[in-house]
Amino acid sequence: MEAILTCKQLCKCYGSVQALDSVDLTVAPGRVVGLLGPNGSGKTTLIKLANGLLTPTSGEILIADKAPGPETKRLVSYLPDKQYLPAWMSVKQMMDFFADFYADFDRAKAAEMLERLGIKETMHIREMSKGTREKAQLIMVMSRQAQLYLLDEPIGGVDPATRDYILDTIIRNYNPEASVVISTHLISDVEPVLDDVIFINGGRVVLQSSVDEIREAHGMSVDSYFREVFKC
Amino acid sequence: MLGKLLKHEFRATGRVMLPVLGVLVFLTLLFNLSVRFIATTDSTLLRVLFALVIFSFVAGIIAAEIIALVLMINRFYKNLLGEEGYLMHTLPVNVHELVWSKIIVSFVWFTVLNLLIVLLIGCSALLLSGSDLAEVFLDFPEWSEIWQALREVGLYPRHFVLLALEYLLLIVIGGVASCLHFYAAMALGHSFANHKGLLSVVFFIGISMFFNILGSMLGATGMDNIEALFLSADDALSTVRSMQTVMGAAAGWELLQAALLYAATVLGLKRWLNLA
Repeated sequence: MEAILTCKQLCKCYGSVQALDSVDLTVAPGRVVGLLGPNGSGKTTLIKLANGLLTPTSGEILIADKAPGPETKRLVSYLPDKQYLPAWMSVKQMMDFFADFYADFDRAKAAEMLERLGIKETMHIREMSKGTREKAQLIMVMSRQAQLYLLDEPIGGVDPATRDYILDTIIRNYNPEASVVISTHLISDVEPVLDDVIFINGGRVVLQSSVDEIREAHGMSVDSYFREVFKC
Repeated sequence: MLGKLLKHEFRATGRVMLPVLGVLVFLTLLFNLSVRFIATTDSTLLRVLFALVIFSFVAGIIAAEIIALVLMINRFYKNLLGEEGYLMHTLPVNVHELVWSKIIVSFVWFTVLNLLIVLLIGCSALLLSGSDLAEVFLDFPEWSEIWQALREVGLYPRHFVLLALEYLLLIVIGGVASCLHFYAAMALGHSFANHKGLLSVVFFIGISMFFNILGSMLGATGMDNIEALFLSADDALSTVRSMQTVMGAAAGWELLQAALLYAATVLGLKRWLNLA
């Protein structure tokens, strides 16, 4: 099976700081993968590189065997850890925008999810609370029938109820043939939805395994195993 | 995809620029009405009001230009280098399309704004002078004599059309280069991890100085050539041809600046993008 995401000896430096160091990994289609690591471990840098928002210092990162560019951006649905929707846009304008640029955007699905949250099409992004904005962003991202979903800290800084909503939205709506990479350090919350995990620390991949393998080999949950590996 | 980017860019900027243009038209109407009805009044209050209207009209024109400039800078900064950059740079478009969408839309708004200002001032002048000005211009008795005299020295309308086209080209390239001066400074300034705004200003000044020095070096040689060119022109036709050559050289200089600034902008956004 052809990998949807491949990193080969991937390095990224910011000046003298090495954010990623010789990262080798592959993500197979149809898997929900947790990119797990403490703050500053290189998770966001890896996701930014996959989206073409950064250029590797050395090595390669490939999406469906292609270097990040306009062609791979058609395949990837990305949720950054920022509030990136223009505040002046109305919900309708936001949906027009996504429908214009992404052929795989399912407008009816997005409209239905937004309506369920009580978000009207005439509402502007600036009128939304922080939590509602984050939900609206997630709805836009998950309404695409992408091949790879890259979700950077989707449950960081939100209340437990919103956290449940976000994880439920991800699991209910992703394209089953696609892969989902969820970057987080809140492992216990995402553990139930994960197939595989990648542990990353200090810019290096320290483990890539399936959740079942960790449970069988170590007799503990991913969360407990993470705490053991990253014990201070 | 450029068409779609343009559509959304016009939508984003139109919500600011259309009201600005509307306010300018309103201020012009107000100015014209004031001149007609209260300029000659003896009432002090109405005279103060008239002064205020004139001030608003002039201030409105200056404010409109400033708003257009700030909007051009702010759209590039917020949309491509701020948090919205996470949306824009992950669209299935290339960097060239992103940059061109900004250049085209800014250029269109500046053109529309400046044409409107010229039109409004022109219309005001015509209205205020009654029909006199239009008549004077259209019935200018010497027009035919002037053309006849020009024909006699070998100059035909086509020579002036070419000169006008060259001038238009110079304005277009110069306008694009001006936009790119801001874009390149911001793209380079924001490629650093810290002090992005300050570094953008430093790059803006640095780029200005670089082109000033380069321009004066080229200009020193150029001025001698221009002088020689005009001195060697012994008839009207060769004088006009000299003007065309100078205009072409000026357009070439603007084009060189625009090309260098475009390359710096694209490089900054493509290779050194560093969104906060």
